[in-house]
Amino acid sequence: MSEVDTLIIGSGVAAAAIAKRLLAINPAASILMLEAGQRVKMQDAAIWQDYVVSNKLPYTKYYDRIFPEKDVPGENVNAGRTSVNLDGARVFTYGGSTIHWGGWSFRLKPEDFELRKRAGRAIDWPFTYSQLEMYYGQAEHYLGVSGDSADPTVPRSTPFPFPAFPYTLEDQPVAMALNALHLSHSHLPIARRGVSDQASRHAPCQTTGTCKYCPFGARYSANNYLDDMFQWGSFPNLAIQLGVVVQQILMGDRKTVAGVEYMDSADGKVKTVQANRVIVAAGAIESAKLLKRSRSAYWQRGIGNDKDLVGRNIVTHPYFVFQGKQKSANAERLQPELNFPTLVSRHFDSEAEQREGKFVLVNPPGSPKVDLNRLMRQGKTRTEVDQAVAAPGLFEIHGMVEVFSDRNNYVDNHPIPNFIGVPQTVVDFNQDAGFELRMQGIQAQVQKIFETMDTQLFGKPSISWRADHAACTVRMSHDPEEGVTDPNLRVHGVDNLYVCSNGAFASLGAVNPTLTLTALALRLGDHLSGAKGGGR
Amino acid sequence: MFNLQPLAKHPLSDSSPEIDKEVYEATWALFAAICRYWGTIADATPHRTQVLNFMLTRIKLNPLYMGYYATAREVLARMRAEHGDAAYEMLFIDKAAASEDPPVSPLAVVRQRVSNELVSLHLAVGGFKAFGAVNYCGYIAGPNLSGQEPPYRTGTIT
Repeated sequence: MSEVDTLIIGSGVAAAAIAKRLLAINPAASILMLEAGQRVKMQDAAIWQDYVVSNKLPYTKYYDRIFPEKDVPGENVNAGRTSVNLDGARVFTYGGSTIHWGGWSFRLKPEDFELRKRAGRAIDWPFTYSQLEMYYGQAEHYLGVSGDSADPTVPRSTPFPFPAFPYTLEDQPVAMALNALHLSHSHLPIARRGVSDQASRHAPCQTTGTCKYCPFGARYSANNYLDDMFQWGSFPNLAIQLGVVVQQILMGDRKTVAGVEYMDSADGKVKTVQANRVIVAAGAIESAKLLKRSRSAYWQRGIGNDKDLVGRNIVTHPYFVFQGKQKSANAERLQPELNFPTLVSRHFDSEAEQREGKFVLVNPPGSPKVDLNRLMRQGKTRTEVDQAVAAPGLFEIHGMVEVFSDRNNYVDNHPIPNFIGVPQTVVDFNQDAGFELRMQGIQAQVQKIFETMDTQLFGKPSISWRADHAACTVRMSHDPEEGVTDPNLRVHGVDNLYVCSNGAFASLGAVNPTLTLTALALRLGDHLSGAKGGGR
Repeated sequence: MFNLQPLAKHPLSDSSPEIDKEVYEATWALFAAICRYWGTIADATPHRTQVLNFMLTRIKLNPLYMGYYATAREVLARMRAEHGDAAYEMLFIDKAAASEDPPVSPLAVVRQRVSNELVSLHLAVGGFKAFGAVNYCGYIAGPNLSGQEPPYRTGTIT
C-alpha cells in the first residue's frame, strides 16, 4: 500500500487545474492522479490529416457506447422518458472531456448564483458571483480564452488574456437581425490561445478549422497541459496512473477517508492506495456514482448519501438547433471559414428570464451550410458546385436553455462494467412538464430573428438532451439537508474528501460549465493550500 | 573528412515508408487533374511535396494505403491508355465507384480511398479559395493578430 498526500480521481480539466495550483504553491507537493482511460496521441500529423480528409477522430473509441437497442447490445441504461445520451457526451481518456470540447468559456452571471432567491427555483449557490470573480479571471488565463474585455455582459475585473476573434462574415446576417430587433449580442469567449508577449509552450490558434483535433494544441485540452507538467515541470512528487478504475473510497472512520481501492487494468489486480485527502474530479456522473458505491459501516448508503441526495438533481442543457432557408440567393457566398462560433446572444440569459429558464443563442460555424468537399466527392461539376454555393443558404441558430433540478432525476451505478471497466450508468431523467411551452417561447424569438434575416424557419428545433453539461449531482450547499458538498467542495460530514466537478454546481445557468468548473478548481487549490487568490 | 553524418537523415526516416516513384507520379498526376477539372488551383506544382507527405502519413497510419496507391497507378494507367486524359473525369463522376460500400472493386478503391481523399486535400491546401472564401477547415490560415486582417472574411455589422 503506497501513500500520497493528495489523491485526485480523474485527469480532466478540474484535476489538471487543481494540480497546477497546488504545485504552484508547493512544487514538491505529493499528488497522484488515477485515470480510468488511456492516452490519445495529440498533435500528430498523420492523425490530423486523417481528420481533415476522413473526419475521423482518434478518441471517439473512448466515448460511451450507445444505449442498447434492437440488434445493438450497447451499454448503460436510460430509465427515464427523456433520453439523456451519454454517447459523445464525455471521453474516458487521459485529459478527460476537454479533448473534444468546443472551448466555449462563459462566466455565469451574478443572478445565477441566487436562483432560489430570485426565481424560486432549485437552490442558491453558497457564495456569490463576486466571491468567485477573481477565479473566473484566473481560469480564463489558464484555459487561454480569447474574448472581448470590454463586453459588459458579465462584470469582470481583469481582461481576457487574448483579444476576441472578430465576427465572421457568416455572423453578419444574424448580428444585423439582432441589432434590428434590439437584442444584444457579443463575442463568444473561446478557449483558443492567441498571440501575446507571455511565453508559453502552448501555440496560438492558426485558425485551421480543425479544433476537434488541433494540430497545434491551441485549443485548451487538459492532456496537453498535463503533458506540460509531467514533461517540463520540476514536480518530483507528481504522478499519474492510467487504466485505473477506482472501485470505492475507503473510510478510516466516518469522518476520515483513508484511501481508495482500484482495479489496475495493467494486471487485473485490485489494489489500494492511502491518501491524506482525496479529490474526486471524475465528472458529474462518475463522481456521484463513486460516492454512491463507496459503502461501508460508516456510510451505508454511500459516502455523503445519508440524505439520499448523491446522484439526484441531475440537470444538463437541452441543446436546440433551429433551421431555416434563406429566401434570396447567397450573394456573399457565405461558407464555413472557422470551426468555432464567434457570436453569441445572451440577451435572454437575463434576470427577466430566470424563472422560466434563461437561454442563449449562438450563430454556429457552418451556417449557412456549404459543403464543398461533399459536393466534389459526389462528382458535381464546377458549375454545379458554384450554383450550390450561391443558392439560398440553410441557416441555423443554436442554443441552450436552463432547466432546473428535480430530485426524481438521478444517475446511479449499474452492476455490469462498461468497455473500460467502469460500472455502467443508469440515468433516469424526465423533462419538466413545462419544457415544451418554454421551447415554444424560444421558437417565437428565433422566428423573429429568422424573419428579419429574410429566412424561412422550418419549424420546431431538434433538441438534444445529451449529457455533455451534466451537473448538480453532488451539489454544494450550506445545509447538508440540501446538498452533498459544502461551499469548499468538501463532502458534508467528511473532513478530507472533496468533489470538484460540474456535479458540485448548485445550478447550471444557461451556459457551458467548464470555465466555472475551472474557477472552482483553482479556488479549491487555494483553499487546500491555505492560499488566497492565485497561489503565493 | 569531418563528416559525422555521411547520409543526411532525419531520425524518423527509418520508419518512413518508401513509395515507388511511378506510384507517386501517378498520384501526383491525379492530384493535378483534380485541380484542373474543378478549375480550383491553376498551378498545382507548389503542392507536389504536400502530396508526397500526404501519402506518407496515410501509409503510416494505415499500411493498406500502400496498396491503394499502387492500385490507383494500375487502374489509372489502364484507363488513360484507353481514354486519355478523359479518364480522370470518368473517375471523378463515376457514381457506382463512389457509392460502393465497402469499396472492394479496384475502381471503387481508387475513387474512395485515393481520388476523393485527394479532393479533400486539394481543398484544404487552397482549392477552396476558388469559391470565394479565404479560410477553410484544414487550411492553416494563421493567427488572429491585433491590427492585422483576420485570417477569414469578416463583415461590417450595422
